[in-house]
Amino acid sequence: MKVRPRIPVLVLASLALLPVARAADGQLTLPDFKELEGKASESVNITLDSSLIALATRFLDAGKPNDAAVRQAIGGVRGIYVRNFTFDTNFAYPKEEVDQVRKQLSLPDWQPLVHVHSQKDHNDVDIYVCIEQGKASGLAIIASEPRQFTIVNIVGSIDLQKLHALEGSFGIPKVSLEDKK
Amino acid sequence: MTIDLEKQLRDALRPAAPPEGFAERIAARIEAVRLRRRRPSPLFLWAPAALAASLVLGLAALHQWELRREQQQGLQARRELIEALRVTGEKLDLAYRGVSDASRPANPDDAGT
Repeated sequence: MKVRPRIPVLVLASLALLPVARAADGQLTLPDFKELEGKASESVNITLDSSLIALATRFLDAGKPNDAAVRQAIGGVRGIYVRNFTFDTNFAYPKEEVDQVRKQLSLPDWQPLVHVHSQKDHNDVDIYVCIEQGKASGLAIIASEPRQFTIVNIVGSIDLQKLHALEGSFGIPKVSLEDKK
Repeated sequence: MTIDLEKQLRDALRPAAPPEGFAERIAARIEAVRLRRRRPSPLFLWAPAALAASLVLGLAALHQWELRREQQQGLQARRELIEALRVTGEKLDLAYRGVSDASRPANPDDAGT
């Protein structure tokens, strides 16, 4: 009889642990950004879970070099989540929602990889990697530009070198690994 | 007169052998009626076949629709995957450019000194 009151407590405790558990597997809890979608002049909202990635992979032609490179780059990826909003005016997006995502990246599993702040262009780019048992299990990119705000969350392991191999294909820009002269 | 009538009656009612094949004809007639009764109407004969054909056609159409839907979903997922990689590459490029700008000396003339 005394055990009963513990059950809701246990349920609540496990619910409270949910965001942590999700963060631990490299997946962020992204806000729905419905308000932003209305304000933005352009928005990209991509949610690809493991089943959709598997489906997309079936439609990549292994015989074509570009498709084969994509296959290789996403070999260990279990989820890709992209929120990208473009605005007509500068800094039209609320900082709170960005901070909500940034807060999740303060968990011990997430390690900051790169932080770029450009005073000149007013750009901020943060790249975090989720390390689980010594292995990268997720990647997060938060980029704030005057007229654009982007969150990318890749769950699983993505080979940036292989992503680099996709440069110039499918409109993927050439990543400048060296100084442009 | 009475005797004559009696004789006529006896003649008329005298048992006569049936014509040859009478019994067979009767039996054949009975069998034909029985078979006619047992044979279902053409509607009942075609209904199951039509039903089966519609079922097969329906299943084939459903399969085709499922294949087309899966193909559309797959192509959409492929487009989204490429778009996601494009956005990722674009933001990585932004970060790399920021890093390279930061590591570049403020005054290029000072670089060699």
